[in-house]
Amino acid sequence: MISLPLLKQSMKSNAVMWGSMTGVMSLLCVQFSMLDMTRSMLFTIFYGMMTTILPGIYVLVTANKLISSQVDRGSMAYILATPTKRTTVVVTQAVYLIGSLISMFGVLTLSHLATNAAKPIALGELGYTMLAGDLTGKMILQVNLSALMVNIALAAVCFMFSGIFNSTKYSIGLSGTFIGVSILANMLAMFGNLGVDGLDKFKYLTVCSFYDYQSVLFADNDWITKMIFPALIAAAAYTAGSIAFNKKDLPL
Amino acid sequence: MIKVNDLTHDYGHNRGVFDVTFEVSPGETLGFLGPNGAGKSTTMRHLMGFSKPQRGSVSIAGLDCTDKSSEIMKKVGYLPGEVALPDGLDGYGFIKMMQGMRKTKNDENVKALLERFRLDPKGNVKRMSIGEKRKLAVVAAFMDDPDVLLLDEPTSGLDPLMQEEFIAFIREQKKKGRTILLSSHIFSEVEALCDRIAIIKEGRLVSTVTAAEIAHGLHNIMTVSFESKKDYDAFLTSPLDVREHDKKSLKCSVVVDDEQINDFINAVSGKRIKSFDEHSVTLEEYFMHYYKTDKKFGGMSYA
Repeated sequence: MISLPLLKQSMKSNAVMWGSMTGVMSLLCVQFSMLDMTRSMLFTIFYGMMTTILPGIYVLVTANKLISSQVDRGSMAYILATPTKRTTVVVTQAVYLIGSLISMFGVLTLSHLATNAAKPIALGELGYTMLAGDLTGKMILQVNLSALMVNIALAAVCFMFSGIFNSTKYSIGLSGTFIGVSILANMLAMFGNLGVDGLDKFKYLTVCSFYDYQSVLFADNDWITKMIFPALIAAAAYTAGSIAFNKKDLPL
Repeated sequence: MIKVNDLTHDYGHNRGVFDVTFEVSPGETLGFLGPNGAGKSTTMRHLMGFSKPQRGSVSIAGLDCTDKSSEIMKKVGYLPGEVALPDGLDGYGFIKMMQGMRKTKNDENVKALLERFRLDPKGNVKRMSIGEKRKLAVVAAFMDDPDVLLLDEPTSGLDPLMQEEFIAFIREQKKKGRTILLSSHIFSEVEALCDRIAIIKEGRLVSTVTAAEIAHGLHNIMTVSFESKKDYDAFLTSPLDVREHDKKSLKCSVVVDDEQINDFINAVSGKRIKSFDEHSVTLEEYFMHYYKTDKKFGGMSYA
């Protein structure tokens, strides 16, 4: 079902992008949780925005590199000139994309767990004065899980465009628009949440609304229920992209 | 071995392939001659299973190229026209990846190929010249000793020395009994390697000739000038294929195939002739005649 040599090549050719996004995100997280000036904004700014913006850029570039750009450049011909089924190719690339996001959030979670253990923070300090106690490791895990699920859905939609279109002009154009709208709407909705009237309606425009760190902090189970929707979107988009890539005529 | 039957794929704007039918027998080398955009690569694309025929069928070794392409690829070495290699690898990495994806270990073959084409696969593929990338592609296509070879303009990007080396290499492959489809627009390479040559124009096969016919001269063109108007007129009434004639100089040009030689001798016998000229058509001229129908060809318009 998956081809290890192809997976290895995908890892190598996307290593720089993955490394820099993972590095920047983890560093930002460490900075936000360690420095007194920024600690209070750990959730509003870092978890509220950075965990969708940075991986969003990563999936936009990577999803298109994994399929459509290889079709557009012609290098896919070398891959398909081996006894490898198209299904195997597309599944391998999807596995890489999801796997790389999981490891990206894995590194982030570990860095945050480590800094949180070194310098714990009270929930009250994060702006949730009604809540008692410190930010726990469990909460960190849950927040990252919720963010990961939404990013897998973002990646899936980009992957779908990458599988459908033979030209990067269309696949990058459409996935770029999708990622841009999703992230912008999420930021606007966040301002709505913070009290700007009317902007909260933007939450209906973006998948990112299913990522709910507040629910984690309040220790209710909303965030778990909300993960079903991005999971469904991801499943549908990965399937659609794979089928399209399997069936279409390739201009190689 | 390779069967293309009534293959049609219309991309619109008169591009694509239309009713293409040909066959390559086991051990045969078929040259696929045509200029850019004539449909050579499109046909290859269907043989590789990248595109599905709108009509007709393509098969290799009895397996349908559309459904069974991954199985077919076990036996096929493909040299793409495009030299865009996968990203992020050095030359060895690419070879390793191809070995992995073909599930074979053939280091000796790889070593022999690298030596033969004088390629040092160190260094990032991105910074390699077109010729070096082409050589890497050659290694990938041939390392598994495939029975069937699909070569899409294989020598483009190679320097003249390497082109020669490559042609010698393909000759050896022919001796090993490989079935080869070679697309090209370089006459010398097609003439040197192919048992048969198919000419494609605007997506349609227009002619297939054998190597023997080329060696012999594809057509003979006889140009005769007569001394008298009477003889000239009499010659024009003969059943021969007179392609050009000129009243002033009393000159006629006819295409005479071998089986028409006697008709030609009959037609000129007893007539007073001022000059006589015979010209054999080379593959290049033959090809050009299909492509430049308005071009003077062997001293005559061949429209």
